[in-house]
Amino acid sequence: MKKRIIVIIVTVITLLTIGSYLISERLNAYQDIEEVIEQEFRTLRQYVEDVYAIEYLDDDRALVFYSWDFPAYYNFGVMELEKTWRGWQFVEAISNRMERKTAWVKGTYAEITDRVILRGPVSGNAEEIVIITDDGREYRPEIGRAEWQMWYLILEDEPFEEATFILYDSDGEVLREEVLQFDLNWPE
Amino acid sequence: MNLSLKYKVLMIFMLLVFIGVFLYYYGAKVRQEEADAEALRDYSYIVREYALDAVYKSKENPVEVELYPSAYTEAILERWKAISDRYPEFEYPEAAIEEGDWFKVNRVIKDAEMLKDTVDKMYEDATVEFEGLKGSFTTLLDYIFYQKYEPSNIEDILIDLGFESPREEE
Repeated sequence: MKKRIIVIIVTVITLLTIGSYLISERLNAYQDIEEVIEQEFRTLRQYVEDVYAIEYLDDDRALVFYSWDFPAYYNFGVMELEKTWRGWQFVEAISNRMERKTAWVKGTYAEITDRVILRGPVSGNAEEIVIITDDGREYRPEIGRAEWQMWYLILEDEPFEEATFILYDSDGEVLREEVLQFDLNWPE
Repeated sequence: MNLSLKYKVLMIFMLLVFIGVFLYYYGAKVRQEEADAEALRDYSYIVREYALDAVYKSKENPVEVELYPSAYTEAILERWKAISDRYPEFEYPEAAIEEGDWFKVNRVIKDAEMLKDTVDKMYEDATVEFEGLKGSFTTLLDYIFYQKYEPSNIEDILIDLGFESPREEE
């Protein structure tokens, strides 16, 4: 009799565990990352925001590039989200003030968890950017379009302090060449 | 089942204890969430107002946000310092700025009387003629934070007193 009760209890607990795991998996699979991002903006009180791009580092990690604040959207943010058993969760966010005004391109260096990220606003006429470092490395950063245009580069090798940015228009003509400096010690 | 009265009372007592503990923790959680939301609201305000860079390390229990001045913050502080150099009663919170305590910095400048007295003195000291109404205490806030001239006659006053360089002739 006693043995039977124990068997029943164990079975019920096992079934409940498996059931709730499957349900949470199902819910997570259908969870809309854009809704999560909206919710995080509300939590951080970063209102009037605009998302430029969502980059998936792998299946469970995503970087969101955005800018916020009325009226100029000059606070450029990057937010890392991680997928856990509770769904997408906030990890860290960095906000940098960059007023584009008349500048062609601006940029800033930041480390978010274990990634190095360079990003900043760029003129709306620029269709493509080529970055050339002093030691001859060449990068083509992504460009996200929303309220402004924002370029970003998730760097996987050595960071650089200075680089030439060549901006191209939609016809492939050079619009502008600018040298940008990055403070690798930011935020100290 | 036939339970004794003693047993029933004990059961009810235990149940009440459970509910009490649950309500206590739930209340504490709600209060914590409210406190976190308020802290994040304050950070959002100060980041916008002082054009700060920010690293949001944690958004709950406890909220952890690191603030750093940007180049635009420096410009705001320069305007503030220049006015304070000429009008020492217009306090410039050097120590709080060094410490990076932006909430303390903000409390200093929100002194309406200090703002009004300084702006009145500026109108008195200026040697240029001006039209329209004199500025109020918000005039200096608009100038320091946004470099906005409201009312517009303050621009001439600031140029005359040497805070701003003269407008280029078109």
